[in-house]
Amino acid sequence: MSKYYQGIDIGSSYTKLTVIDETNRICYQDIVKTMNRDKQELANILTKIKSDYNIVSICATGYGREHFKDAHINKTEIYCASVGVSTLFPEAKSIIDIGGEDIKVIKTGGDGKVDDFYMNTKCAAGTGTFLIEIAERAELPLARLSELASKSNFDKELNSFCTVFAKTEIMKWIFDEVPEQDLARGIYISIVNRIAKIRMDKTLPIFLIGGVIQYHPFLKTIVEEKFQQRVVVPENPQMINSFGAAILAKKHAESEIKIASKY
Amino acid sequence: MSQETIKQPYKIKSAKLMKELMGNYFLGMKDKTKKIAWCTSVGPAELLRSFGFEVHFPENHGALLGATRTATDLIPEATKLGYSSEICSYLTADVGSYLKKETPLTEHYGLEGPPKPDLIVYNTNQCREVQDWFEYFAKEKNCPIFGIEPPRYVDEVSNEAIENVAAQFKSLIPLCEQASGQKFDIDKFRETLRLSKEATDLWKKVLWTARVSPSPISFFDATIHMGPIVVLRGTQMAKDYYITLLKELEDNVTKGIGFLEAEKCRIYWDGMPIWGKLRPMSELFAANNAAVVASTYCNSWVFDAFDEKNPFESSALAYTEIFINRSEHAKEKILKKLIQDFRIGGMIFHEAKTCFSNSNSRFGMPLRLKNETGIETLVIEGDLCDLRFYSEGQTTTKIETFIEQLS
Repeated sequence: MSKYYQGIDIGSSYTKLTVIDETNRICYQDIVKTMNRDKQELANILTKIKSDYNIVSICATGYGREHFKDAHINKTEIYCASVGVSTLFPEAKSIIDIGGEDIKVIKTGGDGKVDDFYMNTKCAAGTGTFLIEIAERAELPLARLSELASKSNFDKELNSFCTVFAKTEIMKWIFDEVPEQDLARGIYISIVNRIAKIRMDKTLPIFLIGGVIQYHPFLKTIVEEKFQQRVVVPENPQMINSFGAAILAKKHAESEIKIASKY
Repeated sequence: MSQETIKQPYKIKSAKLMKELMGNYFLGMKDKTKKIAWCTSVGPAELLRSFGFEVHFPENHGALLGATRTATDLIPEATKLGYSSEICSYLTADVGSYLKKETPLTEHYGLEGPPKPDLIVYNTNQCREVQDWFEYFAKEKNCPIFGIEPPRYVDEVSNEAIENVAAQFKSLIPLCEQASGQKFDIDKFRETLRLSKEATDLWKKVLWTARVSPSPISFFDATIHMGPIVVLRGTQMAKDYYITLLKELEDNVTKGIGFLEAEKCRIYWDGMPIWGKLRPMSELFAANNAAVVASTYCNSWVFDAFDEKNPFESSALAYTEIFINRSEHAKEKILKKLIQDFRIGGMIFHEAKTCFSNSNSRFGMPLRLKNETGIETLVIEGDLCDLRFYSEGQTTTKIETFIEQLS
């Protein structure tokens, strides 16, 4: 009977699930809202995975990792991101993971080991939640933000570190009748400039992952402009941490077999 | 999670005795016949005790407000008075407690608040905030105050600095005589310093048991067991307590028992504890089999220089050469030795928002140490008392990633 491995990334906004087989091939992926009070949707997905695949090991990651009782191991999303991206791209790199409430910058070699990392713990400016709040104040539809920004050459940013005060700041742009495509690009520049203040190895290529890049692909262009470096966005960048978790679930299962075979 | 079973860290049995000792210390403050001096935690406690003062340490009260998580409610009272919420949260919590007339001392020991001072003494060897803090209370309590102001951020302590500080200690004597009603007695001072030296030597031995793996005591344990060396140094009780504690820990070392069964990695903690999160922090590291075994914070009450033969000069040296009062260069030298002595694999720097003086990550030290020694370092943001500056979920992820990195 074939063996399968499951990764579950319980993030602040969404819960992502990936199932892989013994060759690391992705067999199944799904995504549900984390804070959905109706737990049935996630329960249905888990039941489906259980019935369709012979899952031998589960790794949980993300903020909710401690709460997923069926997991065999828990690993941080920083490690999972590093393992997930490195499995697909085994080279030295910087990973920028922009999630719902945080930004993580990870330096990693080709083997997936975390060499260095940074994570915001003081405020959530420049994250997915920041984007939602600012776009709402600017009355810009989130789904069109990327397309709008691509039509602009605007080069200004919002300076405030506080998301709420940044909303006040964008009102000034609206009073000045800044066109909506410029507003969109200005919001993206603000996010990228915040990332640029974080210590990063300038010689390494950048891999963008997380929910924000999944839905705002134009950010890649701004990152390229700012960092003057090769920028890669893996396929399904929002799912990569759950993929990394699935890889670690597989490694865990293999090490258990090794231990068992010793006795 | 069906992961390998992780045991909780063991409990140190002497803790019961320590609680009694600390309880008696606080209950002793109820005795209205005794003269009370307030003193900074690394101030000249021995000199004050030699005059028969009971000594109250406002920082100890600040830590209590932090540990009981009452500080966050009290700090706004001080900020309403014009104190910034970004200055020392011991100060703002303590002033807030005074203004709001709320203290855990009431529930635990039946005290209305800290005892009324007959004399207030501070030493700016740790920071300038203590001066403002103690002056506020001197005015409020209409109490005489004396400040010792040594040279700050010294590389090594010069003879001039020792003479300077020793002279300041001597200048304090007339005020002590007036407030206590007792004449200065050099023999009493020598005796108090001898007892303090014996206790501090024992405290050092207690902390140094953690050089062994598995270590019998964690940094988090040490922040609790340092109570007597802070508030009772110079007394027989403090010395006796550390004899008992040391014996327990040495017995555990002999038996090979550590607070963790197996240490996956050994960590140094820099800066202040996050008092309101001591237990969850201790459990977080234990759950990941990471042993936090060294700190310069708990080492602050190791006074190697005390010498009863030269009580003034040796006290001046001991209180001026403390880690917090040293240059970046001297601090790095001390840290490099600790890394070796305690076989440290990773260093966590707590950048306490309201404690500038004891946050050593602000001038690039973690990266310098990493580059020079190859040791992994992590900076976490938080505070000693004000939990509004601490993001638990994010910090947990950072710490767990760091441990994954070390393992």
